[in-house]
Amino acid sequence: MVTDPRTAAGARGLRTLNEPVPAAVEASPEGSPRAMLWRGAYRRVTTIHDRWRIDDEWWRDEISRRYFAVELEGGRRVTLYHDLVADAWYAQPYAGPEESRQLTKKRRAG
Amino acid sequence: MDVSHPMPATSHPPHTLVACLAVPGFVVALARRDNPSLLRRPVVVGGSPEEHARVTACSREAAEAGVTIGTTLRRALALCPKAVFLPLQESYAAAEATRILDLLHLYSPAVEPIAPGHAHFDIRGLAKLAGMDDETYLHDLHGSVALSSGLPVQLAAAETVFAAHAAAMTRTSGGETRPVLVPPGQARAFLSVLPVEALPLSPEMHQRLRLFGVETLGQVAALPFAALQAQFGHEGARAWELATGHDDTAIVPVRDELRIEANVELPAPTASSEPLVAATRGLLQRALAEPALRGQSVRRMDWRLGLENGEQLSRRFVFRDPTTDALRMLFLARQRIERLQLPAAAVEIGLTLSGLCSEYGHQSNLWPIGPRRQRELQEAIDQLNTREGAPQVFRIVEVQPWSRIPERQLALVAFGP
Repeated sequence: MVTDPRTAAGARGLRTLNEPVPAAVEASPEGSPRAMLWRGAYRRVTTIHDRWRIDDEWWRDEISRRYFAVELEGGRRVTLYHDLVADAWYAQPYAGPEESRQLTKKRRAG
Repeated sequence: MDVSHPMPATSHPPHTLVACLAVPGFVVALARRDNPSLLRRPVVVGGSPEEHARVTACSREAAEAGVTIGTTLRRALALCPKAVFLPLQESYAAAEATRILDLLHLYSPAVEPIAPGHAHFDIRGLAKLAGMDDETYLHDLHGSVALSSGLPVQLAAAETVFAAHAAAMTRTSGGETRPVLVPPGQARAFLSVLPVEALPLSPEMHQRLRLFGVETLGQVAALPFAALQAQFGHEGARAWELATGHDDTAIVPVRDELRIEANVELPAPTASSEPLVAATRGLLQRALAEPALRGQSVRRMDWRLGLENGEQLSRRFVFRDPTTDALRMLFLARQRIERLQLPAAAVEIGLTLSGLCSEYGHQSNLWPIGPRRQRELQEAIDQLNTREGAPQVFRIVEVQPWSRIPERQLALVAFGP
């Protein structure tokens, strides 16, 4: 009877934010995203603005993600990650660790 | 120098009788009721040990291992590796606590919830009304709550809230679950044998009393009031009052939501809308004239129609703004009534006005921010929530800001004061 901390929202009336959603991504052999299915059509990745990696909780249910902050043709910016454990791609409404830190600072400042 | 306390010897009329009902370790007791295999096993409530959360409740077995409320779950696991870790099911516990309160409301008109599974309530004169003595009444009440809830219930009654509470928490613990009645005029004698920890004071104060060699409430009561006040300040004065059986705490009962109901039987069965609208208009005028509605506005109207075939049809109207304008209410109701296709003729019509709140002006404000603006905002949110039946406006809170996993950092909680 132990809860899974990754269960969706609901506990204590909370709704989680920034939930990842599965994404259809075409990747290069070295693992970078080339194109993404966006609103029914594949859009080419024009720029990769940032990339970072999260490896955590290797002692229980390992999390290993390779993140990419990309710009699709047409100018839309999306954050994608490749789940290296499940070998699946997800899109996540998340600006990145640096921007997130700045937002947190702003929120705390007032 | 012995300075007597200015308080009269008895500050309560002799017939006052207050009861305290408590289910010790309510959340753990619920878990054990639902899963008897947890009996006699250490139980920790709050989540899994991997979570960055704290213990919200624990069983006596876990407490003996050093786990306390507020300990981190990881520390709790280290202290008590055999413990069963359970999630906190707040809504379930709240629903079960409400069930107990509903039952107590059958026994007493003044029930004050203290915590989930813990309530104080007034029972003066109720035993006589039921044709019983106080002791039989308490036994009956205890049996009823214990049987319907399936929980280990502790119950005690005394002349004061503190004496009843102390009796429920101490004399009935340790396996003895029979209700305790502290006879009138004997509160001081009853309390005198209890340890100083029974006093609702800070742990530091309990420790200080023990350092002075004061271990029981009888010893506290034997000390001069002025000396205790001089040594311990306000807490000392309060300790002396409680130990000597003086407690002016009154029961503050919860207030039920006010509802205005009006019903009328139609002079003849009808399936056409005009008589229904006319009857609704009459009912609205009657309901809005109720003195309880003076100075109040209504958020919600439940409209009911009794049909000749025994069926009942109902419609709910939630107004965009709280109102007492009968014409506006009728305007909204009329549209829905005219669209009704009744399977049988209507014989009875009724309505309930609820969600009463204070009237509020809507003239523009000179200052764009401030408490008034906040009230207006809260009022609008309450109205929206009432309309949709669930929270609609949320604010962002940091849950695990330190987490590297983005979806765990932030969450939404219902906006509220």
